[in-house]
Amino acid sequence: MLLCLGLSYARTPVEVRERVAVPGKDLPDAVKALTQLEDVDEAVIVSTCNRMEIYASSPSPSTAAAHVDAWLRDRFHLGSEIEFFQHQREDAARHLFAVASGLDSMVLGETEIFGQIKDAYAAAHAAGTTSRELNKLFQESFRVGKAVRNNTSIQRGSTSVGSVAVELAEKIFGDLRDSQVMLLGAGDMSRRCAQSLQSRGAKGIIVSNRSHERAVELAAEMNGTAITFEEWPAQTAHVDVIISSTAAPHTVIHPEQVLPALRRRRGRPLFIIDIAVPRDVDPLVHDIEGVYLYDIDALEALASETRQRRENEITQCLAIIEENIGSSPLFRPHHPYPPQRATLADST
Amino acid sequence: MSRELLVLILAALCYLGGFGYAVRSLRHGTYRPGRWTLLIMAIGGLCQTVFLHWRGREIGGCPMTNPFELLTFISWSIVVLYFIIGPAYRLSLLGVFTSPLALLFQIAALLRPESLAPAVPKSTHSFWGELHAALALVSYGAFALACAAGIMFLLQDRQLKQHRISPVLRQLPPIHYLTRAIRGLLITGTGLLTIGIVSAYRMEKLPPASKLTIVWIVWTLYASLILYESWRGMSARRAAATAAFGFLIPVISLWFIGRH
Repeated sequence: MLLCLGLSYARTPVEVRERVAVPGKDLPDAVKALTQLEDVDEAVIVSTCNRMEIYASSPSPSTAAAHVDAWLRDRFHLGSEIEFFQHQREDAARHLFAVASGLDSMVLGETEIFGQIKDAYAAAHAAGTTSRELNKLFQESFRVGKAVRNNTSIQRGSTSVGSVAVELAEKIFGDLRDSQVMLLGAGDMSRRCAQSLQSRGAKGIIVSNRSHERAVELAAEMNGTAITFEEWPAQTAHVDVIISSTAAPHTVIHPEQVLPALRRRRGRPLFIIDIAVPRDVDPLVHDIEGVYLYDIDALEALASETRQRRENEITQCLAIIEENIGSSPLFRPHHPYPPQRATLADST
Repeated sequence: MSRELLVLILAALCYLGGFGYAVRSLRHGTYRPGRWTLLIMAIGGLCQTVFLHWRGREIGGCPMTNPFELLTFISWSIVVLYFIIGPAYRLSLLGVFTSPLALLFQIAALLRPESLAPAVPKSTHSFWGELHAALALVSYGAFALACAAGIMFLLQDRQLKQHRISPVLRQLPPIHYLTRAIRGLLITGTGLLTIGIVSAYRMEKLPPASKLTIVWIVWTLYASLILYESWRGMSARRAAATAAFGFLIPVISLWFIGRH
């Protein structure tokens, strides 16, 4: 039987989420550790900047939930004040389908989560921690995610982090054709964000990354310029938007780096988008006059406005999900579906 | 009621209507800086131009002989500058804040007792004296628009800092455009005021020392702001706050000049 346990941006602040984030390289070991727990047969960890969720298959979901809960608190040194949400059986599937459809995302209808779930499933599958039940569940989630996007207009409008960032950038600078963008970190999300700004006319992209080779690669892809990670503070005076998404475990942008640059900007504002978890930018930077810092949680507040305007679409999306829950072989009583080892290709 | 008062009341009604229309459409999220706002503002400005023309012919010079005429002239300057500066800085929405300012000055003018008095023809004419007064008042119009742009900047800056943008403020011009407009308006206003002050010293008989002093105080405030901003640099927020709240000084100076 299915179990889902975790936390997300909806109820848990970034300060906690950054502590429980599981980097991609650690996923195989983490899912293997989970399947070592009593009553946990299969496991997948979906860890993004907005959520950390564990999907498991167990003969006894309640007992497994207690073991997974204890494992999480022990691994991430969490106190009892941190609460995980928990879903079992159909509710767990319903939750995953909603997540895969972008209905539970910070930016409603965003599609990035779909790829992240695929990556999470692929990592667990490669580690050998998925089998009959989770394979079926995740395949269905990919199918439902596609159906929701194809049959509704949930994707229309500014529903991605990049779109919200573009809207804010235009609110600050107006025409982006005079704006220069600097990427700190060469992650996929920052790349997409920068591409959104580029599509609205941002005139130049500077990429800085700890791995200079990766920066050069990304800069070439985006017709930008690569600089070493040591060089980025000197560029702050010349760029208008900084998108930061490094994998650093601590903050990398501090007030003392931004203040000298601001004096040379002669009143031109600076827009910083911090999409890293753990956060890259010291929150004190936001207190500096002329600097507008938006982290993941700040973007969420703006995205929720769009969410409000799309209530009707959500209703339609939920109907598709319910329809699939109702017809899923996973929840037919005593349905003896055969054991299988699914591949990602099956789900595309 | 005289035809002069009628055109000024019509101008005030235009600004009131323009402001009401803009606020209503902003609240509904349907504001489009378009023909109607511009047309209403243009009709208001035209009415004031007609008044100034009539009054100027009656008195035989620039109609700036009493507080009623001074305030009307400033209101007219604000609207004229809006039509010149707005498009230059892509600030069509500045009209939302310009119309109440123009309305405020026009109502203040209409409430003055001199509004009911007949025009008094000038006995003497001084080119430099009229240039001084006209440029000083147009510069006040520029400072008034800088004040409006400053308020728009401060409102948006506050919301951006609080990570929330209301549907109304979402439609305001980008803050970087406002920053440039404030700087441009302050430089324009200070430049005009400088020429106005120089003109005063070319007059055969200098204006009263008290009036010159108050104009120098206003000039010093704005010139210092521009110099400091150019020399040391200043955050856009501080420049906007100074432009917004600093306009109190010209307003006080007008009150002072009106009393003397």
